[in-house]
Amino acid sequence: MTRSLIWRVLAAPALVWLALFFLVATYAIVSVGMGNVTTLFEPVPHWNPLDWNVGYLKQALSDVAPGGQTWPVVVRTIAYVFVAMALSLVIGYPVAYYAARYAGRSRGIVLLLLVLPFWISYIMRMFAWTNLLAPDGYASKVLDALGIDTLMNKLGVMDGSDWLGGQPVTVVLALVYGYLPFFILPLYASLDRLDHRLIEASRDLGASPMQSFWRVVLPLSKSGILAGLVLIALPMFGDYFTQDLMSGSPDTSMIGNTINGYVQGGSEKSLGAALTLLLSIFLLVFMLGYLRSMRAEQREAAAA
Amino acid sequence: MSTKGDILLRSLVKRYGEVVAVDGIDLEVPPGEFFTMLGPSGCGKTTTLRLIAGFERPDEGEILLDGVDMSRTPPHKRNVNTVFQSYALFPHKTVEDNVGFGLRYKKVSKAEAARRVGEAMELVRLSGLGHRKPGQLSGGQQQRVALARALVLEPPVLLLDEPLGALDARLRVDLQVELKRIQETLGITFIYVTHDQDEALTMSDRVAVMRDGHIEQCGPPQELYEEPRTAFVANFLGASNLVPVSVARNGGPGANLTLGAFTLQADECPDELQGEALAMIRPERVRLEAHGATGENRMPGMVEEVVYLGFHQDVRVRLATGALVRADVPNDGDAVEYAQGDAVSVHLPPRYLRVLAGDASATDSDPTAAEAEPA
Amino acid sequence: MSDTTLLERGIGAAPDRRPRRRFQLRDPWGHPRGLALVTWIYILWSLVPVLLAIRFAFNQGRSRSAAQGWSLRWFTQDPNLSVLHDPTLSSALQQSLTLAFFAMLIATPLGVGLALGLQRWRGPGSGTANVTTLLPLVTPELVFAVGLFLLFTTAFKTIGLGTTAQIIGHVTFSLSFVVVIVRGRLATIGSDVEEAAADLGAPPWDVVRRVLVPLLLPAIAASLLIVFALSIDDFVVSQYLASGADTTTVPMRIYAQARAAPTPALNALATIMLTITLLALGLAYLVFKFMTRGEGGGSAIGGLAGIEAGIDAGGSR
Repeated sequence: MTRSLIWRVLAAPALVWLALFFLVATYAIVSVGMGNVTTLFEPVPHWNPLDWNVGYLKQALSDVAPGGQTWPVVVRTIAYVFVAMALSLVIGYPVAYYAARYAGRSRGIVLLLLVLPFWISYIMRMFAWTNLLAPDGYASKVLDALGIDTLMNKLGVMDGSDWLGGQPVTVVLALVYGYLPFFILPLYASLDRLDHRLIEASRDLGASPMQSFWRVVLPLSKSGILAGLVLIALPMFGDYFTQDLMSGSPDTSMIGNTINGYVQGGSEKSLGAALTLLLSIFLLVFMLGYLRSMRAEQREAAAA
Repeated sequence: MSTKGDILLRSLVKRYGEVVAVDGIDLEVPPGEFFTMLGPSGCGKTTTLRLIAGFERPDEGEILLDGVDMSRTPPHKRNVNTVFQSYALFPHKTVEDNVGFGLRYKKVSKAEAARRVGEAMELVRLSGLGHRKPGQLSGGQQQRVALARALVLEPPVLLLDEPLGALDARLRVDLQVELKRIQETLGITFIYVTHDQDEALTMSDRVAVMRDGHIEQCGPPQELYEEPRTAFVANFLGASNLVPVSVARNGGPGANLTLGAFTLQADECPDELQGEALAMIRPERVRLEAHGATGENRMPGMVEEVVYLGFHQDVRVRLATGALVRADVPNDGDAVEYAQGDAVSVHLPPRYLRVLAGDASATDSDPTAAEAEPA
Repeated sequence: MSDTTLLERGIGAAPDRRPRRRFQLRDPWGHPRGLALVTWIYILWSLVPVLLAIRFAFNQGRSRSAAQGWSLRWFTQDPNLSVLHDPTLSSALQQSLTLAFFAMLIATPLGVGLALGLQRWRGPGSGTANVTTLLPLVTPELVFAVGLFLLFTTAFKTIGLGTTAQIIGHVTFSLSFVVVIVRGRLATIGSDVEEAAADLGAPPWDVVRRVLVPLLLPAIAASLLIVFALSIDDFVVSQYLASGADTTTVPMRIYAQARAAPTPALNALATIMLTITLLALGLAYLVFKFMTRGEGGGSAIGGLAGIEAGIDAGGSR
C-alpha cells in the first residue's frame, strides 16, 4: 500500500493546484458565459448547472453565425489562420528537412539558430518588425525599392504603402513569422527520428529521390506535420496581440480581438466568456487530437 | 551449508489484463541450491522472478521464504536480493556507495559496513575500484558490482535475471565459472533466469524449463537432457530428432514404434502413450552405417546435406519414409566422409530412443526461434 | 548532358565547364543547395529583425527605425528616458523578474512531485490526473487567461488581480512543462534503479530521496530554466491578471508602447530581457553538462531531448 500511497502524496499538491487554477478556472468561463450580470454589468457566474442561463451563449452563437455581427471576423480569422498554416508548411518543411537530413557538420549551429527564437519573447519579435515596417523603417524601404508593395496592392492583400496600416498581408506574415519556429521544431524531431535506412531501402528498390520523398519520407512525417500544424493553429486562433501590434485596424481584427475586447474592454464580460466557450469547443477537436498523438508517442517512448 | 533460503511457490498466478504471464506455478527450491528457470522470451520466467523479488504482486498463490508467506511484503522488506539484467547500478554513486547502499537499512555500524563492503568487493575481485563511478567500468565489472551490491546484504536467496545477457561470449563463460564459485562459497540459494541453455546446463543443480507461464519440466540438467518429457523440452535443450511414429506396447517397459514400413524398438516408453507419438533421439546418438547394413532399428536413407562444423559434421539423412534425421558425426580423423547423395543405413539404438507425446506438428517447431533474445 | 545539346550550344560555349556544373547539381550524393538556401534565408529572416532591434537600442539618436551612432544612452545615461531612470521601464523589468523568480520556485517542486507521482501511480484516478496535466499544454493562451481572469474576479475575489494572481497564472501553465521534462528524464532513467533500491531495502521515501531526486537534478535544472523563460516571455496571462501600472511586465510595456512612437529605451528594455534569458540558458546548459558528466553522452542527450519534448509539447506560450 505504501508503494502506491507515496506516489499519490507526491502528485497531490500539483493536482490540487491544477484543479483549482486550471479546471475551476476553465469552469469559470462556463459559469460566467452561462451566468448573469448585475445592474453595473459585473458578471455573476452561475456555478450550478441547474441555474444556467443560455442567453449569452445564444447571442454569441447568433453573432458568429452567417449574417451575425461577428461572422466576418470569424471568416477572416479562419482565412488568416489557414493561409498562415499553409505558408508555414511551405517554408517550414524544407527547413526542418534540411536541418534533419543534410545539415551535416553545421547541424549544431543550424539547430541552435532554429531554436533561438524560442528564447526570444514573442512580443519582442513582433516589436522588432514594428521598428522595421514603420514608414521610414529599413524593411519598408527595401520592400518599396523592390516594388513588393505595388505587387501586394495588385494582389488585393494590401492597400496603400503603410505596412503597419491595417494590411491583411502584414498580419498573416506576422503570424507566420511568430509561430513558424513552433512548427519547425516538432517536425524536425519527427524527421530526425525517421530511419535513414528506409530512404536508402526505397532508393535501392528503384525509387528516384523525388519518388522516395513522396512515397516514404512524406507519409512517415505526416504525424509530425499534423502535430506541428495543430501546435501553431491553437495559439493563432486565440491571438489578438499580433493583430494589435502589426495593424490595430478593425478591418484585420481576428476572433481573439473580439473576445479580448469583450472581456478586458469592460461591460460585456459574459458575452466574451460565451464566445471563449464557443472558441474552446471549436478548438477542442484539435486539442484532443494532439493529446492523443502525444500520449501515443509517450507510450512508444516508454516501450522503447 | 546454510539451512535458510528455502523458497516455496504455491499455485502462483500473475495476469496482465487478458494475458496470463504466470499460470499456476508450484515449486520448491531447497536452501543452497543453484536453481535455473530456463525458457524462451515470454515464458513467464522473469515475471516469476519479479514476483519473488516483490516488484509484482501475484494475483493468486503464495510465495514462502523459509516457511513465511511474503507475497504481500513490499520489496524493501523482503530478505531476497536481485541482480538485474541491466545491472541497475546507481550512476550518481561511486562503486563503493553502490555496494554499501543497502547496508544503511541493516543497522550495522560504519566500521562494520566498510568491512563488509571491502569483503564483498574482494569476493567479486573488484578491490581497488571502489572510488570509480559505474560509468567508468566495463560491462563485466559493472556486473560484478551488481553482484557485490546484492551479496553484501547476505541474503539467503539471490535472484539473478539474465545477469550475463549483456556480455560478450568469452566473458560470459568466465563469469559462469565465477558465479558458480561464489554460490558454492557462500552456500546461498541462487534463482537464476536465462534463455541460454549452456548457462543453465553449466551452473545449475536443477533447471526448470518454462513455457507459456508454467513449468514444462524440472530436474537436474542431465535428467532434462537425457530424459526430456516433452518435445518442447527436447527441442529447447540441445538439438533433437523428432519423428512421428505410432506406438504399440510390447508388454514390457518398452514399445514397438511403427514408422511407415519399418518398426523400431524403444527400450523405454511411458505407460500412458498409445497410438500417435513422437520418437526422439539426439543427433549425437544416431549412428550412420554403410549402405546395406541390416539389423534391429536400422533403416535405409540418403544423405541430403552435409554441414561441416569443425569438430563435427552435421549429416542430414532423408529416410525412406520421408522423415529427415540429423546425425552428428565426430570429426575424429577416422570417420567416414559423407557426401550428398550417398546411400547409408541409419541406426537408431533402442536404448537412446525416447517416446514423447505429440504429433507431427511438433516436429515443425524451430528450436532456434525459441531461443530469440527477449525484448 | 547529351552530345546533342552540346552541339546545339556550339563548341564555343565552354563545353567542358558547363556540363560539370550541371552534373554537380544533379549529383545524388551532393548537397541539396536549394534546401540549404531556403534554410539559411529563413534563419536570417527569423533573427535579423531582432538583431536590428537590439542594434537600435544602442542608438545615439531617438530613432527606432534607423541606426544613429552608438551609445548607452537608452540603457543608463539618459537622465529621464533610459531604462535605468524611467520608472515605468525599470518597474516593468522588476515585475518580470519577480514573477519569473516565484514561478520558478513554486512550479518546479510541484511539477517534479507530479511527474514522479504520475510515472508510478496506477489505478483509479491516474488517467484523469494524466489528462489534467497535459491539457494546459494545448489550451490556447487566451482561453487560459480568460478563465483565470474570470476566476480571480468572481470566485477567488479574495486573491483578486495583481502580482499574486500573475504568479499563480505563470505557475499553472509552467507546471505541465516541468512534468513533461521530468518524465522524459524518468523514462531514460528507467524503473530498474528504483526497483534495485527497493530490493536493497530502501523504503519508498528513500528511493525518491537517495536515488530519484539526485538522478533528476539535470531535469530539475532544465525545468527551472524553462519556467523562468516561459514566465519572462509570457504576455497574455500577465496582461489579463495585471491590476495596474505596478504589475506591468516587460512584454506588456513593449506591447503598450510599440506603436506609440517611443524612444529606443524600449529596445534597450527588450535587449536587457533577452540578455537575461540567454544568460540563464547558458548557465542552465553548463549546469546540465556538469551534472551529467559521469554518465556518458546518452543521458545528456536524453535530458536535452526532455527540454525539446517540453517545447514540442507546449508550443507557443
